[in-house]
Amino acid sequence: MAKTDNGIRICQGLLILGNVVIGMCGIALTAECIFFVSDPHGLYPLLEATENDDIYAAAWIGIFVGFALLALSILGIIGVMKSNKTLLLVEEKWRHENCKGNTEKTERDSAEKGREAVKQTYIILMLITYAFEMASCITAATHRDFLTPNLFLKQMLERYLKSDADNNNDKWMTEGVTKTWDNLMLQNQCCGVNGPSDWQEYTSAFRVTHNDADYPWPHNCCVMDNRGEPINLDGCKLGVPGFYNSNGCYDAISGPLNRQAWGVAWFGFAILCWTFCVLLGTMFYWSRIAY
Amino acid sequence: MRPLLLLLLLLLATAHGLDNLLYEPLLAGANLGGRVTGSTFVLEQPRCIFDNYNTSDIWLVVATTAGKGDFNDSAKVEMPKWSFQHFPANTSAYLTLDAMQYHYRCLEPNGELTVLRVGSETSCVNNISIPNCNGPLPGPGPYWVKFLALNGSEPVATTQWSGPITLKTARQIPSSPGTGGGRSGAMIAIAAILSVLLAILLAAFLVVLCSSEVCGVGSFRPDSASIQRYNTHHVYDQPAARL
Repeated sequence: MAKTDNGIRICQGLLILGNVVIGMCGIALTAECIFFVSDPHGLYPLLEATENDDIYAAAWIGIFVGFALLALSILGIIGVMKSNKTLLLVEEKWRHENCKGNTEKTERDSAEKGREAVKQTYIILMLITYAFEMASCITAATHRDFLTPNLFLKQMLERYLKSDADNNNDKWMTEGVTKTWDNLMLQNQCCGVNGPSDWQEYTSAFRVTHNDADYPWPHNCCVMDNRGEPINLDGCKLGVPGFYNSNGCYDAISGPLNRQAWGVAWFGFAILCWTFCVLLGTMFYWSRIAY
Repeated sequence: MRPLLLLLLLLLATAHGLDNLLYEPLLAGANLGGRVTGSTFVLEQPRCIFDNYNTSDIWLVVATTAGKGDFNDSAKVEMPKWSFQHFPANTSAYLTLDAMQYHYRCLEPNGELTVLRVGSETSCVNNISIPNCNGPLPGPGPYWVKFLALNGSEPVATTQWSGPITLKTARQIPSSPGTGGGRSGAMIAIAAILSVLLAILLAAFLVVLCSSEVCGVGSFRPDSASIQRYNTHHVYDQPAARL
């Protein structure tokens, strides 16, 4: 009995360790997803206009899954520690079975039923959490594949400074896209998705209200001075290097969005692999203990 | 008065001699982003070309392919025939960008940008009183340009016609996802591995459930097993052991 005793204690120690790691990973996942949802780079309106904003949905799911993992890991630790008493009670029962009789049997049964319920609740809830986190990972990874330059190019050409709106929703999205692009171009010193040539090569809503001679590209593409005015408007219109921004904004957009998508997807994947091992161990442990 | 008379005499002497210069107008360097747009283009200034023609005005002639052949060098500048507003519907060429000769004098190369932007004035596009408006070009071209030096209304010198200048045409907005679309390998790996792991977990959960009381299949009750054992190995008259 001593050998199995040690074995069981090692098993319990490992399971408690596993659950502690799950709890901490849950907190980390919640923190990471809150950071992404807070949208520090202000890129959400671009995705909202493309109607392809599911990487934000994946981050929202991640927040709640993180909390659930923390709560369930605590439940798991309590369950593993309490099952210690189950083991001792079974041993006691073996020794005193002949001497005492079955007076403790009814009490044992209800206590066992309670523990059985806790075990099953834990496993079922963990499986549900597992399924949600799996959905979040796959969503983040899939929708990251949709974020190509042409997606943002189409949005920018169709919505930037569009003058007539079909309805309120359209107007809201147009304003969001315009504001986001203005911020992007000013803060990152860039122009268009691939470069200022985007405004020349393709027809756009911008071109409808701004003629080509005065605005070959938006004036936000010009190098600005401290007051927010172009330092040389003619130089900017001519395209003189140094007076206009000739690089594209795609890197400034795809960098943060890729980091968000891969952060949610891969970290979630890692947590799920670890949770898989802990869950298998828990089910194995409880099936051996509850005999 | 005397110098003026002298000048007039000199002019009369050369009036019928139109100098054909070998210079061909060029588009500006390729490092300019706005070299050719949808309605404008940028030319190099004709520096050092007109140094001998001190008193002339240098005009730019812009013509379509038909105008290249039709254009008469003795065109009078004020004539509405050669005005921007009539181009290209009623006329195949127009004159614009009037400059005094000293604007194009020779300079030491000091890295300064010396260019002319054709099509930059949008305010006078419909103003008939400004026939030499440097307005945006109405179509993608091709256009041909040359410089013409006029003394009053007499042509004094002309450069060669440039090569054809075609402006940019805007395409429709791209609708395809372009490069980078489609499923990446990482996404497929994540989905496949996670699905397999979830399936294993569900299977293990069902096995655990069925090995306990719930499924009712071969229930391994601890009480009955221990009682059975005790029944086998202990004295039979144990009333509490029997259930």
